[in-house]
Amino acid sequence: MPASELWIGSASTSITPDRPVALAGQMSTHIAKKVESPCTATAVALETRQGNKSVDHVIFVACDLAVIRGELEDSPTELAKFLEAKMQNEFRQRVKPRLKGFDLNKLFLTATHTHSGPVTMDGVYVIPPGVMQPKEYLEFLYERLGEIVVKAWETRRPGGVSWGLGHAVVAQNRRAVYADGSAQMYGKTDRPDFRGLEGYEDHGVETLFFWDADKKLIATAINVACPAQEAGTGRGVNADFWHEVRVALRRQHGDGLDVLGWIGASGDQSPRLMYRKAAEERMRKLRGLTRLEEIAWRIVQTVNDVCEVTKKEIQTDVPLVHKVRTIELPIRKVTEEEVAKAKAECAALLEQEKKGKDTLARRLWHEKLIQRHEWQQSNPVYRMELHVIRLGDVAIATNPFELFTDYGVQIKARSKALQTFVIQLAAGPGTYLPTERAVRGAGYSAVAQSNLVGPEGGQVLVERTIEAINELWP
Amino acid sequence: MKTILALIIAVLTLSSTQAAELWVGSATADITPDRPVPLTGNTTVRVAREIHSRLFASVLALESRDGGRATDHAILVSCDLCVIRPGIQEGFRKHLAGKLPGFDLNKLFLAATHTHAAPVLLQERYDEKDYGDGMQPKEYVPWLYERMADAVVKAWENRAKGAVAWGLGHAVAGHNRRVVYSDGKAKMHGNTNDPMFRGVEGYENHGVHVLCFYDSQKRLQAAAIAMSTTAQAAGGGNKVSANFWHDARRLIRERHGADVCVLGFCAPAGDQTPRAQVNKKAEERMLKLRGLNYDQEIGRRVAAAFDDIAGVIAKDIRTDVPFVHRVRQIELPARIITEAEYAVARKVCEEIDTRTTRAKNDAWRRHFFGLVVERYLAQQKGGWKMYPMELHVMRLGDVAIATNPFELFVDYGVQIEARSPAVQTFQIQLATSGPKPAYYVPTPRAVAGGSLTENAFDNYSATAASSLVGPEGAQTLVNQTVETIKELWRVPTK
Repeated sequence: MPASELWIGSASTSITPDRPVALAGQMSTHIAKKVESPCTATAVALETRQGNKSVDHVIFVACDLAVIRGELEDSPTELAKFLEAKMQNEFRQRVKPRLKGFDLNKLFLTATHTHSGPVTMDGVYVIPPGVMQPKEYLEFLYERLGEIVVKAWETRRPGGVSWGLGHAVVAQNRRAVYADGSAQMYGKTDRPDFRGLEGYEDHGVETLFFWDADKKLIATAINVACPAQEAGTGRGVNADFWHEVRVALRRQHGDGLDVLGWIGASGDQSPRLMYRKAAEERMRKLRGLTRLEEIAWRIVQTVNDVCEVTKKEIQTDVPLVHKVRTIELPIRKVTEEEVAKAKAECAALLEQEKKGKDTLARRLWHEKLIQRHEWQQSNPVYRMELHVIRLGDVAIATNPFELFTDYGVQIKARSKALQTFVIQLAAGPGTYLPTERAVRGAGYSAVAQSNLVGPEGGQVLVERTIEAINELWP
Repeated sequence: MKTILALIIAVLTLSSTQAAELWVGSATADITPDRPVPLTGNTTVRVAREIHSRLFASVLALESRDGGRATDHAILVSCDLCVIRPGIQEGFRKHLAGKLPGFDLNKLFLAATHTHAAPVLLQERYDEKDYGDGMQPKEYVPWLYERMADAVVKAWENRAKGAVAWGLGHAVAGHNRRVVYSDGKAKMHGNTNDPMFRGVEGYENHGVHVLCFYDSQKRLQAAAIAMSTTAQAAGGGNKVSANFWHDARRLIRERHGADVCVLGFCAPAGDQTPRAQVNKKAEERMLKLRGLNYDQEIGRRVAAAFDDIAGVIAKDIRTDVPFVHRVRQIELPARIITEAEYAVARKVCEEIDTRTTRAKNDAWRRHFFGLVVERYLAQQKGGWKMYPMELHVMRLGDVAIATNPFELFVDYGVQIEARSPAVQTFQIQLATSGPKPAYYVPTPRAVAGGSLTENAFDNYSATAASSLVGPEGAQTLVNQTVETIKELWRVPTK
């Protein structure tokens, strides 16, 4: 794989509106009237050149949003809203005239999964007048994203890249398993029938460092298998721990540092403590940190360590190859029994709504399942956009899901690359993608309502991703 | 009568969990023989002629005093050994008889770091012929007792008024080592670069539990560190080695004082070792860039976590804390041998017994499978039902300390930690020794990873040959441990 001169550009912006906004990721409507920490978006543009000829390119855009899921005005059903990568497609169209010479398929958006970021899809929550509506927010978002993408692309200059692996214990497996074989997300662990946490944890921190020609750090991409879900008062916009990460890194490396926060495969991981909470909390108080600062401190510590160790290997000439594919995954088939249960749930929730309770998001969750039963007859596969990139000795692979850790570990273990970044919640609106053991234990995140794709499709995703990566290491 | 007894126990517990003056003593013994020695931990014996890093036994003596009266005490001995084999602790207590006036010897226990490059302790562990000119186990053990006894007596006698602080940090020092495949089978250290690889079997625990002990001037005197990882990083090959604990101790002493006594303890880690299962190439590259071997790297991570924790908890040093030490002899339901397991084991034993040629791993295999035969035959006579073990549970301030003699799978340790009422629960596996070997204690999911076959390494660590206690016994261990901890926090059990 021939090495080429690497050109790098980057930019960041706030994507926090200055008006009240509904927050995504909640089971009922939460209106934020204040900003606890600004949600931001960061773009990094890479291009390789041989002489004056452009060889390949990519633009990464990391957003402090729950998911990359936009409004779809002509959606025939609630399910269709869920399925299509409207936000990314719409954004590509809008920015197209401003990115000369760039193949827009090589730009993708990723979400950090903050549960305190603006809603981007209509019809999920009851949003009162006077609060920014999802359609309005998307207009604002596209404008801001357009600015940074264009800036990153236009300001690209010759630079260097280094990469490394560190560790930070940030996430815990969030599925507790009990003696009867059942599992529960965030289930209690001090029960006598608690038997263990369902799966593995990935504490690897994969980091890319981008340097300008003077060996000044201009941007970094940090891949942590942990969704940004620690904050959540439900009262304010909050970028979760990535805000504290950025503040700490900029304090040390300069205000101009752009930070891409990438979430690794962690459908079954989150920062929420599952046990030994008293000991963790005591240490945090002794340190005088908030929980978000504590998480950021762990990440920043390892990023700085890895940065120092690997900066002796900054490379200015590297292979960059970016493959974009649409792949098909078999969907998880909804059974008659699941439909019957969902119908009963919907009926019960409707009764509650008549009494004035806000259960819309929960009801839609069941309704989508009922729609799927019909839909699956003619739609046996889920189409997703897969990005696989080789950058030097590093592979970067995306998926749109909340992908259970085991699948990410499989990809990393079987990849021919020296180091493999797996980015979930990228380039589309995925759902949880559970393992077989999770499906057996059921519970939120592993029941059919939580997944469009199940273990069978998960394995196909792994195989297609590994094939694509390993083609780049002939 | 029962009510009166309960009242007496409650009053005794109440008085013993009140804060008292803490007295601390510590000492270290070099337990490295300066002559060739056979090493344990592998299926064949290696005679070490060189020392990669020296082995130590680190001793911590604790006593609580209330108004000049001793209320309770403990001596903890961390040893750079593979396992405290059957009879070793009992022998050491006998050796100590009369040397520790006023000390209840049942309140002393030994714990192993699980280095696989330490001397063989049982003469019959391997074929004696393979020990060659090395120091025989029957010579090493009395020598070990002498060395450790000197340190124990010194720690006990030099105890003085001191202080303690505790804290929790994190280090990715151990990885779950059981790899699961699409056919449902599991393999310890299995290949993960395999299309059939489906995931790592279980959770990983990266907690670093620290107890710091200070003298009356608040100078760090001793540190106990418990982590869910066995001392099995790079190792020393055919050389004597304390594994990563050597490097962790060196760094801690460089930064905190040359005389600091460091006790390395292994928390439940039957399915965890430092060896990486994924990201192997990236880990290797980072090692090279740092210029470290894997022992040094794990030592670096442990020492970094210790530095951080020690700095933070220095704000909360306590001189008067409750200290209670319970020692219980408990029985766990033994793992029952099936007809099929017996048939496999008998076949292997018969094949070894009738063969005229000798393989280097025969003694190990004969022992491994022979114990299955022995257990089955005992069970047929109604004799193999329960596994006896010694359980130590301590309360030291807000910290619970609990031991077990096994390589206990991580899930059980997590259960104990999650259900414990203590602010922090410090667990030590491979601690104490009884009449029987302890071996692994696997989870149901590990047991489901494969049956016993003639290949000892098929689902090694979870088959009947690898475990004398299975999931049923483990649950009893968890419940008894939690109940005992709760008694020390006066929390009614459910």
